[in-house]
Amino acid sequence: MAMAQDSKLKRAAHWADVRGRGLGMWAYVLNRVTGIGLVVYLYIHLVVLSMLTGGPAAWDPFIKVVRSPLFLGLDVVLISGWLIHGLNGLRVTLTGVGLGVRAQKAMFVGFMALAAIGIVAMALLVFRS
Amino acid sequence: MATQADRITAPAPSWGWFLQAITGLALVVLLAVHMVAQHFVAAHGLRDYAEVVAYLRNPLVTAIELLFLVTVTTHALLGVRAIVFDFGLSDPAEKRVTWALWGVGVLTVGYGVWLTWTIIR
Repeated sequence: MAMAQDSKLKRAAHWADVRGRGLGMWAYVLNRVTGIGLVVYLYIHLVVLSMLTGGPAAWDPFIKVVRSPLFLGLDVVLISGWLIHGLNGLRVTLTGVGLGVRAQKAMFVGFMALAAIGIVAMALLVFRS
Repeated sequence: MATQADRITAPAPSWGWFLQAITGLALVVLLAVHMVAQHFVAAHGLRDYAEVVAYLRNPLVTAIELLFLVTVTTHALLGVRAIVFDFGLSDPAEKRVTWALWGVGVLTVGYGVWLTWTIIR
């Protein structure tokens, strides 16, 4: 593959192409996708909080809207992003300092199973409250 | 043979990587506190305006929320930096990106401090 002839954009997007890659690459892409999503959420969250400057007249009706099932569903998506990104990040940190490098595939599978359990538990908690 | 994935899961240590790991670990605690305090203690998971103001006026809460803001902004922008660096930039270009992201970070935290102050004063 003539990487040198690829455009910068194509090279930068190279990581997102998971075809024919191993489990490690999936873990890497999963961390990037969730990471980008969480950065976007951070700034949406900060902008939305500016409604607080409008006092109760601006904030309180908004609170009613975000208690709707649609927004609770989006909350579960957000929590899923945290669990996947956080547990994946913990694995990257552990292997980065030389812990469990040989077991990193098992660690990835284990952590993602933990994330799945956490997502179900959090979904039940969010929709029950 | 070192595959691409091997290199990614065992990156060359850099200040960015260490800071990302440290802020990441701190975020596990800070995000948990943020979530429990903001959404699980509050009735129906969210506070109305009067409750937000009363809650944020607690100095300990103000301190924790601002620490959370600095930590999450650092972690987020270091992540953006890593993605941008994947474009294969020259050293001067990487320096410019780092400085630009410092600017974004200072603005982000400044906005958060301003917003908090506007609400609690």
